[in-house]
Amino acid sequence: MMKGVLLYCFNTESYRYDKIAAKTIPLLRRNLGLEITVVTNDETRVHLPEQEGVNYMVITNQTGNYINQKSWHNLDRHRAYELSPYEKTILLDIDYFCYSDYLLTLSNTDQDFMVHDKVHDVTGHDSYKFARNSMVPMVWATVIIFKKTPRTKAIFDMVKYVKERYSYFCDLYRVDFKNFRNDYAFAIALHQIGGFKGYETIPNRLPTLPAAAKITEVSATHVSWNHQGRHGKISSNDVHVIDKGVADV
Amino acid sequence: MDVDQLKDISDRSYRIAVNKKNALEKARSSMILAYSGHLFQANAETINLVQVLKNKLKKFVILDSNHNPMMVEDPEELLERLITKQQEALNIYHQSYAESISKG
Repeated sequence: MMKGVLLYCFNTESYRYDKIAAKTIPLLRRNLGLEITVVTNDETRVHLPEQEGVNYMVITNQTGNYINQKSWHNLDRHRAYELSPYEKTILLDIDYFCYSDYLLTLSNTDQDFMVHDKVHDVTGHDSYKFARNSMVPMVWATVIIFKKTPRTKAIFDMVKYVKERYSYFCDLYRVDFKNFRNDYAFAIALHQIGGFKGYETIPNRLPTLPAAAKITEVSATHVSWNHQGRHGKISSNDVHVIDKGVADV
Repeated sequence: MDVDQLKDISDRSYRIAVNKKNALEKARSSMILAYSGHLFQANAETINLVQVLKNKLKKFVILDSNHNPMMVEDPEELLERLITKQQEALNIYHQSYAESISKG
């Protein structure tokens, strides 16, 4: 298969990611028209329905990472290279709501690895400012578009290497976030594999609704939220939703 | 005006500003053009550059959004696609902007 979407979906004690997948997968199918492969585990697989154009790949996922004292199953992202059945893969977070075909545009390039290095806070609060939280600019591992090449394999292998020595690299790059984050693991890997010079990025900013924006509605065309008493809506535009409450909207 | 009216005006201004910013971001994303394996921003700068070079040269090199060089073999086709992409994005932005102002 030439091109497809790869997602990771692992439920935790606190969050039902399969419910988020039930919202995001139909949007991806409708707006991208690509085959989707969902990497999951046995516990989550039983909650994921059979769907046309959606394949499931069951793995034994690594556990042991936490965020805000809650389990966070994000330790297998580096395996995307080996797990993806596609020559060109659009690797997405499960909470990426796709309302356009703009990812298809991004995937129509010769570049073998692209990631966002800029974010746009859709609430207008510019709440993402991480410039002082590390010595390496953070990237957003939410959307990664990659082609299978030796260089791309090296990037994913480097992410694995960084993951296994994360506290060392946190000290080296003075990363404030001590729990493992793919965003920093990829930033560090890209910095290292790029010869400490630079790498290619997605030219626009990643539209994101921060955790403080509580989702009130998800439809086929838009996402609505409430943030500090103010309501907002984003239509026909892709958006990364951080609020895990979206599972129950 | 009482304070509630002033607050309403403030809230309306906030909504318009946020909607405008989001619509503009959307337009910028929609202006990304994939052409011959490269990505370009179909903005005024790119369109003007291609137009100017096209007037002087039959083919020429430009830089993509990641500063990689690309030889433009068919300037007319590229210019056409850039203008189409830009105008599609800006028309949607224009519509969103007008709706945002009218609804508040």
